[in-house]
Amino acid sequence: MRTARGWPWYARWHTVLRFEAFLSAAIGLAVGLGWALTGGGPFWPGWVWLGLAIPLGLQAAVRWGLRAPKGQRFLAVHTSLSFALAVMLLLIWLLGGAQYFWPVWPIAGLAIVLGVHRWVVGNRPNAREQALADRVGVLTRTRRGALDVQAAELQRIERDLHDGAQARLVSVAMSLGLAESLLETKPDLVAGLLTEARTTAVAALDDLRTVMQGIQPPVLADRGLEGAVRALALDIAVPVTVTGGVGGRAPLPVESAAYFTVAECLANVIKHSNAMSAWVDLRHEAGVLSVAVGDNGVGGARIDGGTGLRGVARRLESFDGTVTVSSPAGGPTTVTMEVPCELSSPKT
Amino acid sequence: MRVVIAEDLALLRDGLSRLLRAHGFDVVAEVGDPVALAAVLAGQPVDVAIVDVRMPPTFTNEGLVAAIAARARRPGMPVMVLSQYVEQLYARELMLSGSEGIGYLLKDRVADVQTFVDAVRRVAAGGTVLDPKVVAALLARPERREPLGRLTPREREVLGLMAEGRSNAAIAGKLFVTDKAIDKHINNIFMKLDLPMDHDDNRRVLAVLRFLQDSAPTAT
Repeated sequence: MRTARGWPWYARWHTVLRFEAFLSAAIGLAVGLGWALTGGGPFWPGWVWLGLAIPLGLQAAVRWGLRAPKGQRFLAVHTSLSFALAVMLLLIWLLGGAQYFWPVWPIAGLAIVLGVHRWVVGNRPNAREQALADRVGVLTRTRRGALDVQAAELQRIERDLHDGAQARLVSVAMSLGLAESLLETKPDLVAGLLTEARTTAVAALDDLRTVMQGIQPPVLADRGLEGAVRALALDIAVPVTVTGGVGGRAPLPVESAAYFTVAECLANVIKHSNAMSAWVDLRHEAGVLSVAVGDNGVGGARIDGGTGLRGVARRLESFDGTVTVSSPAGGPTTVTMEVPCELSSPKT
Repeated sequence: MRVVIAEDLALLRDGLSRLLRAHGFDVVAEVGDPVALAAVLAGQPVDVAIVDVRMPPTFTNEGLVAAIAARARRPGMPVMVLSQYVEQLYARELMLSGSEGIGYLLKDRVADVQTFVDAVRRVAAGGTVLDPKVVAALLARPERREPLGRLTPREREVLGLMAEGRSNAAIAGKLFVTDKAIDKHINNIFMKLDLPMDHDDNRRVLAVLRFLQDSAPTAT
């Protein structure tokens, strides 16, 4: 947690505590002087000092406890507070004249509570087990998601091929068959049929290219993510600046998921953002591939707004990737995705 | 006209060869990989090489690399690059190896035999032929930068057709206007792009090059 000024809240607490300690010391000193000037007598300032020391001591104990690593802090604060309380009880006993040693009872109580707390913490399922159980949960969910995405993709490809290229090739075969049969009897019709067959065959090629582009864009295999993104940027109707670089080849499925994410984001820039320009930044640092796509448009993009970004996020989930969207109303929009992955050496 | 064909798929190589022979080309060699292509080009004079982008050993863009290498060895060597898909990025890389004698077409265009054969002849003669898909993508971009921003939409259209390698008469036919009107548009284009008075073919190539470079990526 950070405050507006960027400092952790407990750093400010430290400053306050120092001021408090200074003030307490000043008051303590004044009271001591007052006692000396009024001619001594029973040493009552000890009680004032104790009163001043209690809040300071408790705060110092909490601060000390908070220094423990995350996950053990609660127990550490409990321990340090128990010790601080025990010391205070002893001091009270000393100031009260060190008679019957009554602090043994409250201190024993504190010790029992602390002991129980330690025992409970020690017998919790350990952090590693918990992490593994969480991981299994995530893997189960993302594996099902990945299979769903894959099945939907295959279905879409099958339908595209069936309705597009396959239907057109049937039509080509029919035109050619008809032309063959008319060659003897009505040769004047043959030229028209051949032209029709040719244009339909070319249209089938166009369909196939679109389908192939959706499966795996050839330029991605040729040039890797960086080159493919540059090629994509050239085909977009707004100027797109590409910065950064990857410096190697990410695993093919990661490259592919990252490419389609950029494609989806740039398509959104064209469709929704009204932007004058866009940018893509690629980098691979500390084992994480991060790709950011931004524009200077109207903003208001949401990950659950349409199916596009949602699908992209699901696809990246299978690689433990994340997508974050920053798009306040009025813009600008930035979509950042991060995928942990190793690179192979760049293809030469 | 002496042609070498580099294409690894035998079916397409034979088809291409048959088609070109039928139109009076002299197919001096048919090869299936970039190494063999380089050997042929080193061994005998060739007027134009027709090169497939995807070839062994990695089946990515060897053909493109081979074409650029061939033009590095012999500047201006006419090369027609064919591919199952076209990328503006590749068109631009090809043009960086010199602007004359470059063709970059989808394989589908071979089906329109007459246009394809004309395109091969145009490239062999030092012209530029870009696939209509590449040109369409270039035209789809709103132009903000000089000097292309100075062109009228009609002039941009004419420039696009020039980039596809069409002759003035073909452009006139396509736009349903007279040859004279096209001449006027082209002269305006040359003037607005500050192209020097020179041989007309050369200026066409330079204009197309401007066209490509203007939409170059803003960062490298």
